[in-house]
Amino acid sequence: MKQTGIATKIILLSCGIALLLMVVGCILVAKYEMKLLNNITTVKIDEKEQYYLYRLYQEKNALSNHLTKQLDHLVSMMKSVDRVYAQTFEFQIQSLLMHPMVVAAEFCDNDGQSFLAAWKDKTVQVEKKFPKSLELFKSMVIKTHTGIPSIEKIRLYYSIEKLKQQLQEQKEQDMNEIHETRKNVHQQLNGLFLAQSIGSFLVVALLGIALVFSLRLLILNPIHHLMQIARQLKKLDLSVDINPSTASYELNSLTQALAQLLEGFRKIISDVKENAGMLSNSADTMTGIAEELTNHSEEAESKSNIVAEASVQISANIHTIADSVEQISDNMETVSSTSDYLFNNINSVANAIEELSSSLSHVGERAQNGTKIAEKAVHLAKKAGKTVNSLRFAADEIGGVSEFIQRIAHKTNILSLNATIEAASAGSAGRGFSVVASAIQEFAEQSSRAAKDITDRIASVQKGTYEIENVFKDVSTIIKEMNESSESISFAVIEQTKAVQEIASNALEADERARNINISIEDLTQTVNDAADNTAQVALGANDVSSRIQGVSESISFNRQISHQINETAIVLNHLSGNLKYMVDPFKVSHQSKSNNNNKE
Amino acid sequence: MRKIHNITSQKKKMPETKRQFCSFQMAGHSFGVDILDVKEIIDEVVLTKIHHAPSEMLGFVNIRGHVHLVLDLRLLLNFETKSIDEASRVLLFHPNVGESFGVMVDQIGHMIEVEESLIEYRLSEENISGIARDFRKSELEKGVCKLKDKLLIILDASKFLNAVDLKR
Repeated sequence: MKQTGIATKIILLSCGIALLLMVVGCILVAKYEMKLLNNITTVKIDEKEQYYLYRLYQEKNALSNHLTKQLDHLVSMMKSVDRVYAQTFEFQIQSLLMHPMVVAAEFCDNDGQSFLAAWKDKTVQVEKKFPKSLELFKSMVIKTHTGIPSIEKIRLYYSIEKLKQQLQEQKEQDMNEIHETRKNVHQQLNGLFLAQSIGSFLVVALLGIALVFSLRLLILNPIHHLMQIARQLKKLDLSVDINPSTASYELNSLTQALAQLLEGFRKIISDVKENAGMLSNSADTMTGIAEELTNHSEEAESKSNIVAEASVQISANIHTIADSVEQISDNMETVSSTSDYLFNNINSVANAIEELSSSLSHVGERAQNGTKIAEKAVHLAKKAGKTVNSLRFAADEIGGVSEFIQRIAHKTNILSLNATIEAASAGSAGRGFSVVASAIQEFAEQSSRAAKDITDRIASVQKGTYEIENVFKDVSTIIKEMNESSESISFAVIEQTKAVQEIASNALEADERARNINISIEDLTQTVNDAADNTAQVALGANDVSSRIQGVSESISFNRQISHQINETAIVLNHLSGNLKYMVDPFKVSHQSKSNNNNKE
Repeated sequence: MRKIHNITSQKKKMPETKRQFCSFQMAGHSFGVDILDVKEIIDEVVLTKIHHAPSEMLGFVNIRGHVHLVLDLRLLLNFETKSIDEASRVLLFHPNVGESFGVMVDQIGHMIEVEESLIEYRLSEENISGIARDFRKSELEKGVCKLKDKLLIILDASKFLNAVDLKR
């Protein structure tokens, strides 16, 4: 299966497509033919139906014409006779019913009433009227008016059912014929379709066989050869011989290229193998040397480390001594500064207390003064209230006066107007007087305005006095409160003064003692500072020694690190060469070299 | 000399160029009547009502022993009537205007002297067509005087009594 994979697929695919196309083509053709056949038959059927409808119409016309003629003949015959008997009517009506299509006939008198009727009911029946059971509405009617007095109308009923039946039979016969021909054609077409499909299958099979043979001959054999080579290469066997000896040009060039590639590859691999062996040996020797170097440097480092640690410890000890001395000196300084601060504070407290005492005595005096002043103020406020009251009364009186003035002004105005009128009526003689009258009028207006002004002002004054009265009442109550509070203040101040004086004496004593403490602390600070300076110098010297020893130790450790790195690189190199050899070994370069390789290993 | 000169100049100009009016206010409007028609202005009025008289007649008033009829000018001019207050005054007219009567006004104003040219008179009655009876109230108007800041409507005092009669 795997060897013929491509070929099988190609063949199957092409055969399948061809088969599909053929089948589809067959089906399409068959469908088209079927449709054509159906169309033809339906057209034929339509034509037949139309033809029969036309025939029916013609027959119907011919029948009615024939019956009308017969009736006319009958009427003319009856006209030619002088007298007509009832038997004659019966004979006539029976003769009318002789025709196969006629169903019934009726003779009517002048009033339109029938007096003789005949119909077919298996045999011919004759009565005066039609029975009610007779159904004549389905059939056709011919009516004639005769000129004979006893028979006014003749009605003739006839049916076309039989005519229709005859025609229907003929039509069915024709239809059957058409359907049969159609069936025959159908069968023939089915056969044709079968033949077509079998033929297409045969063609496809032939095509498939031809394709298989050609593919085997041209492509599959060379590909099989290439596959064998590839299988050997898969096993990393490079010692394969390739001889391009196939028929097709493309595959030939492909195999040639492959052979060249193999040759080159073979050469490279053999070179690599040799070099890897040599590299591995030299890496081994290098590793040994590096290891020795590392051991030596490690020893030196450990020794120098011990020395460095000792020196560091010494320097650290000296440092801690210096630090503690310095701390003592710092502490002493803070103590001295705090005692200074304390001394200053106590001093300022003593001063402040003295000031407080003196100011308190002042406050006491002032408070007593305030009490006296408040009493005076109450008295004055009462007086002012009375004065304001009298002022209000005076303002009221002024208001009354101004009203009176206004009334006088109005009167004067009227007077002046009347004077003007009089002057005008006096004519040119009163001209001078009219000037005087107008002047009086002006005065009256001015005095009225002034009176109004005064009234307004007085109103505002009255308002003001009311407000002042209220304010004075408030002021006097406030002054009373002030008086009470100043009295209580003066009492409190006296007691406070006593307490403050006691505090002042205590503060002075404290001040003295603080000064003594300050002096002794300053002496102590001086001596501690000297000690701190000396220890600091020693610490500096120790530090210098320690740092130098550390430098030596660091350089030794650096040496050790480098030798270690060399060692590591050598090991890595060795490892790499081993890897290379391992990778290259599986390749078989030639048939002869196999034995050589084994020897080397 | 000077006085004489003044008088002569007045005599020349007065009748032609200058006229005097007594002004008063009614319902916010300014009106005026010729000062020569006015006899007197009265401020304190005690009215005696006349029953069965038209509403325009407010009543009689006794001025120094003389009885005068007082009309309500507001009603004559088609305003709404108003009660008497402090500013109300009565204008009494000369006997040559009508027999001893006066009108009640809302407020008295100044005596105004104006040039004749500032007065515009109404058209005479002949031009108003025959339905003058319907314009009874407008007949009271004589003309309009153009003052500096407003217009003064000039009324004809001699028509006041007739206006009341006509209404009856």
